[in-house]
Amino acid sequence: MQNQEKIHHKKSLPRSFYIREIVLQSIRSFFLDRNFHEVETPILLPSLIPESYLDVFETKLYDRRKKSKKLYLSTSPEASIKKLLSAGLGNCFEITKSFRNSETTSRYHNCEFTILEWYRVNADYRQIMKDCEKLLLHILKNIDDKLKSKNIEYKAKKITYQNHIIDISSPWKKISMKQALEKYCQISFDHITDNRFSKYTRLFNPYKIRKVAQSKGYNVSATNSWEEIFNQIFLNEIEPHLAQETKPVILYDYPSPMAALAKIKKNDPRFAERFEIYIAGLEIGDGCNELTNYWEQKKRFSAEMRLIKQKGKTARNMDQDFLKAMKIGLPDCTGIAVGVDRLVMLLSNAKTIGDILLFPQTDLFGV
Amino acid sequence: MSKISVTQLQKGIFINFKNEPYQVTDFTFVNPGKGSAFVRTKLKNLKTAKVQEFTYKSGESVEEIPINIQEMQFLYLEGNMLIFMDKFTYEQYSLDKTMVGLFYQFMKTGETYQVLVHDNKAIGMRYPKKVKLKVVSAEEAVKGNTATGAKKIVELETGVKISTPLFIKRDDEIYIDPETGEYLERSK
Repeated sequence: MQNQEKIHHKKSLPRSFYIREIVLQSIRSFFLDRNFHEVETPILLPSLIPESYLDVFETKLYDRRKKSKKLYLSTSPEASIKKLLSAGLGNCFEITKSFRNSETTSRYHNCEFTILEWYRVNADYRQIMKDCEKLLLHILKNIDDKLKSKNIEYKAKKITYQNHIIDISSPWKKISMKQALEKYCQISFDHITDNRFSKYTRLFNPYKIRKVAQSKGYNVSATNSWEEIFNQIFLNEIEPHLAQETKPVILYDYPSPMAALAKIKKNDPRFAERFEIYIAGLEIGDGCNELTNYWEQKKRFSAEMRLIKQKGKTARNMDQDFLKAMKIGLPDCTGIAVGVDRLVMLLSNAKTIGDILLFPQTDLFGV
Repeated sequence: MSKISVTQLQKGIFINFKNEPYQVTDFTFVNPGKGSAFVRTKLKNLKTAKVQEFTYKSGESVEEIPINIQEMQFLYLEGNMLIFMDKFTYEQYSLDKTMVGLFYQFMKTGETYQVLVHDNKAIGMRYPKKVKLKVVSAEEAVKGNTATGAKKIVELETGVKISTPLFIKRDDEIYIDPETGEYLERSK
C-alpha cells in the first residue's frame, strides 16, 4: 500500500508525518531565536563541487532557440551557503531539498531528501556540537508539548528507536576516531599509517592498512584505497558499537583522507576536524571546521575530479565560482549538514526512510 | 561455483563466507559520511543458524553456493532433529529444529516441504508464503462485539495459538503467513 493510501485508511494523520511538521517548525524557531539568517539557495545548478562518492542527477536547460545547457540537481546547499559566507552574510541556516543518484536499495536513503545545514562564523566545531544537543532537546520538547495536547504519549529527553532507549540530555558522548579504533578494533593509528613520511598523502599509503585488514580476514586488493579499507573496518567493527550506546555519540577527528571540506588539524595532520553524530546507530549529521585555504581546496578538488573519472561516475562541471569565493576569502567558520528525514525516522521510531515520507521513492519510482 | 558482485546480492541466496555456507537474510547499501559505498548484509550460518552482520566493499564479489531444493515429507521429530524423507529417492535427512526457527510451530507430520540440501546434508527449508491449517478450538465470539479490528485467539491443529477475526470457527481451515505468524484469510 502506498503511503497516501495508508493515510486515507487511517484517517488521522499518522504520527510520523505529524512529527515532521513539528521538527521543521522547531528547527526554524531554534535558529531564529539565535539570530541566524534563513537562506534559500538554488536546487538547480550549472556546476557542483566535486564529490567522488556521490552520483548526481543531470538535466538540461533550453533557451528559446532550443539551445541546451547541462544542469544538475544540488547534492547539498554547502557550496552556495559558503559563497554567501564569503560575501559576509554571517551565521545562517537553510532547510532545503537535495538530490543524490544511485542510492536505491537502502533503508536510510531517498534520492530526494530534506537537508538542514547551519554555519557559524568565527566559531569552532565544538559550538556546532553544542548546537546539536540543544536543537534536539528543543525539538523533543516541542514534540512532547504538541503530542500531549493531542493526548499522544511521548517521553521527553528519552528516545526509543528500534528497541534502543537513548538518553539525549547533555552532554553527549564524545569519542575521537583514534580512540574508537583503539577501543573497538585494538588498532593503533600508527599501525595503519606510514610514519616514515611526513606528508599526509604518503602517510596514507595503503600498504600498512592492507596488511592489518588482511590479518583480520578482510578481502582486500591492490586497487582498494586507504579510505575504502578503513571504512570497511569502521563499518564492521566500530559502527555496530555506536548503535549500542545509550547516548548520542559524537565521533570526531576523522583521518585526513576523509577530510572532504574540513580543515586538517594543525598539531596532527593525520586528522581532519570533522565529526559525525550517531544516534541509535543512525548517522544523523556530518559537521566540521570548514577548510578556508584556497590552494588546499583546489588541490582536493582536482583529486576528487580524477576519482569521479576513475569510478565511472556521472561527469560534472566543477563549481569555479565556489573556488573564486574561497580565493576572495571564506571567514573562519564551522558548519554541519543534518539529514532531516533521518531525524524524523529517529523521532518516530521508523525502520526505513520510506515509512516517514509522504511520497517515498519506493512508492513513486518502485525502487 | 560462481562469483557474483555484492551489488547483485539478493535476499535468500546462499554464499560462502569465511569458508562456511551462509544465507543472505537482509542487505542494504550504506555510505559512511562522505565515503565510498558499501553493502551491509545479515548472514545466517547454515550450520549453526547464528545470524551475523558483515559489510562488504561495493566492489567485492562473493561466491554463490549451489543449493538443491528437494521435496521432502516431514516424518517425525526425534529429540531436536526434524526427520524428513526425500519423496523421490526415499533417502532420509535430518535437520536441527533451531534451523527453522518459528516455522516449526506450523509444521505437520506427513506434509511435504521444500528442504535445502548442500553437500548431501539438509541445511534449511524454503518456507511457503502461506500455510493452510485447521482450527481445532476457538472461543465463541461475544455477541455485539463486532467493532472492526476485534480479534480472538484460536488453536490450530499443530498446537499453536494465533489471533484471528471473530468469524473464524472450529473446523475452519485458515491461511497463515509463517514468517509473521499472522492470520491471512479463511480457506474456501
